[in-house]
Amino acid sequence: MQARRGSGSPAFLLVALLALGYFLQSRGLYLRGLATHACPLGNGMEQIQFIAWSFVLTYLIIRLIFKLQLLGLFTSGLAAVLSFISLFPKGFDPHYWKEPGYQKLFQNPWIELHASVAIFSYGVFALLTVVSAMYLVQHSALSAKKSSAFTNFLPSISQLEMAADKLLLTGVLFLTSSVLVGSIHWFQDLNNVSFPKLFVTIAVWLLYLGLWLLHLTHRIFARKFAIACLWAFFLAMVSMSTVSGKKDTEAIFPQSLEVQGL
Amino acid sequence: MSEALQSLFVMGLSHHKAPLEVRESFALKNGDLPKALRNLQSMNGLLESMVLSTCNRLEVYGFAENKDSLTRVGRHFCEANHFDPELFEKHSYIHTNLSTLQHFVGVTAGLDSQMVGETDIQNQVKSAYDLARTSGSTGPVLNRLFERGFHAAKKARTSTGISKGNVSVGNVCVDLAERIFGKLSRSRVLLIGSGEVAELTAQALLSRGAADITVTSRSQENALALASNFGGAVLGYSDFLSHLSKFDIVISSTASKEIILNRECISGNLSSRRGRPLFLIDLAVPRDVAPEVDSLYNVFVYNLDDIARIANENLEHRRQEIEQAKLILDRQSWSIWLDVRRRYLLKSIAST
Repeated sequence: MQARRGSGSPAFLLVALLALGYFLQSRGLYLRGLATHACPLGNGMEQIQFIAWSFVLTYLIIRLIFKLQLLGLFTSGLAAVLSFISLFPKGFDPHYWKEPGYQKLFQNPWIELHASVAIFSYGVFALLTVVSAMYLVQHSALSAKKSSAFTNFLPSISQLEMAADKLLLTGVLFLTSSVLVGSIHWFQDLNNVSFPKLFVTIAVWLLYLGLWLLHLTHRIFARKFAIACLWAFFLAMVSMSTVSGKKDTEAIFPQSLEVQGL
Repeated sequence: MSEALQSLFVMGLSHHKAPLEVRESFALKNGDLPKALRNLQSMNGLLESMVLSTCNRLEVYGFAENKDSLTRVGRHFCEANHFDPELFEKHSYIHTNLSTLQHFVGVTAGLDSQMVGETDIQNQVKSAYDLARTSGSTGPVLNRLFERGFHAAKKARTSTGISKGNVSVGNVCVDLAERIFGKLSRSRVLLIGSGEVAELTAQALLSRGAADITVTSRSQENALALASNFGGAVLGYSDFLSHLSKFDIVISSTASKEIILNRECISGNLSSRRGRPLFLIDLAVPRDVAPEVDSLYNVFVYNLDDIARIANENLEHRRQEIEQAKLILDRQSWSIWLDVRRRYLLKSIAST
């Protein structure tokens, strides 16, 4: 019964380990921030690390609001996968701040805020993806009329859908704030705006905003909503990789980075 | 004399050989049982009998004058109750002599149940026996066998752990409801019909936090009596379909031979549920919920077979306990059999 409520010692140990990992990751990002003189978002590794950091932070906050069993397990799994992916590709972490002529990553603090808030919203969407995946596991077991110790410990589909709705709203609010902050600069310096990147940013924002509106009006719900959340995150990650494609070189020249959606 | 108790038998069909679709066509209502017993009493060569009718089995226990009478019992029973004799023959089984007693104690102990170890069957067998005894269908042989059989079943149940775990319909349904809705305190429950299993299921939901239980039944009197048990409301049977969208959990256990909840009536109510899932528990045989309802989006339908399958998923953990219970029942059956046979022989000698 203790384990079911998520208050037993294994659950506590998991949260303690996650909190420790979060502390160490915060320290790593802080040290990288000192080196780059900015929020470390200058290359693919830093962006994914920042997403994983935001994702775990969101989980640690969310668990105070919702008691969702096994969410910590899923969160630690995805955080580990994201961190591993960020370290894996060769040349994913160029030391751009060591390049000659480098001053700092963001010339404009508003753009730094815009990028960091946008990446933070991706962390929230990552947690939304985890919750959606848990929903689909529970839903599939119920539809197949199967029961196991695992599905009995998973939260109910109603709880998961409610949590997903709140996470989606939180993510949309962060992303909207990021877009609003970014748009102030875009209007001021239209000549330096990269329209493909702007298009991707707006498209991801519209995708999540549309999804939230559709769920709010009950046009999409339950299993289809969970699947849509998974696809949305997949598309967001793919779009981020296309945006990041040229980023490593652009990071050296901060004025080019200013138009990036992230 | 050499044939002492050689014509003791049980014949019938159960979930082992007959799927739900077949069992539906052999359903006997409680009100039909006295008539079925009277028909068996009128059969030549059949000395004693009892009919056990549950959701998962229909069985005739009997003691005949000789083995030849056995062959006629099945056909006579089917004809009297308008069952298809060919279908019955195809899905039925027959046990004789000691096997009859072993089968009886296994059934009563819950070892032969669809949900192994469930406890409801004991009351169902006792009710069937009480009805047969009071109507004069059973006699000295079956009375002694059944009464001692009940003790044996109780011993097997209490001295082993066969009933541990989620082996009742109610517990399984509550677990499923919690997997769908989480806390049940905000879930509205509708009980259609006033069957005993449905009542126990509603009781289990109530014990786990469900606070809003409404009852609807063809019999307003039954609905009122049941609702008063739960402190719930009563909904008119003619109105419940139009209020269906307000309920999250619907437990149906009517004795109707027709489908009560079809695809059209459920899908018509879904739009006003604003995305909330619907959990339908069909405890009736024949089924109350049309099989097509299961394919509706965000609707979860569980019938007796589905619930039994889930209950038996933890069977592995109780395997050792089940083996222990079987050993106890085997020993007890032999003891009862020898005792009843001895008494029967002595009585036969005394009468000659």
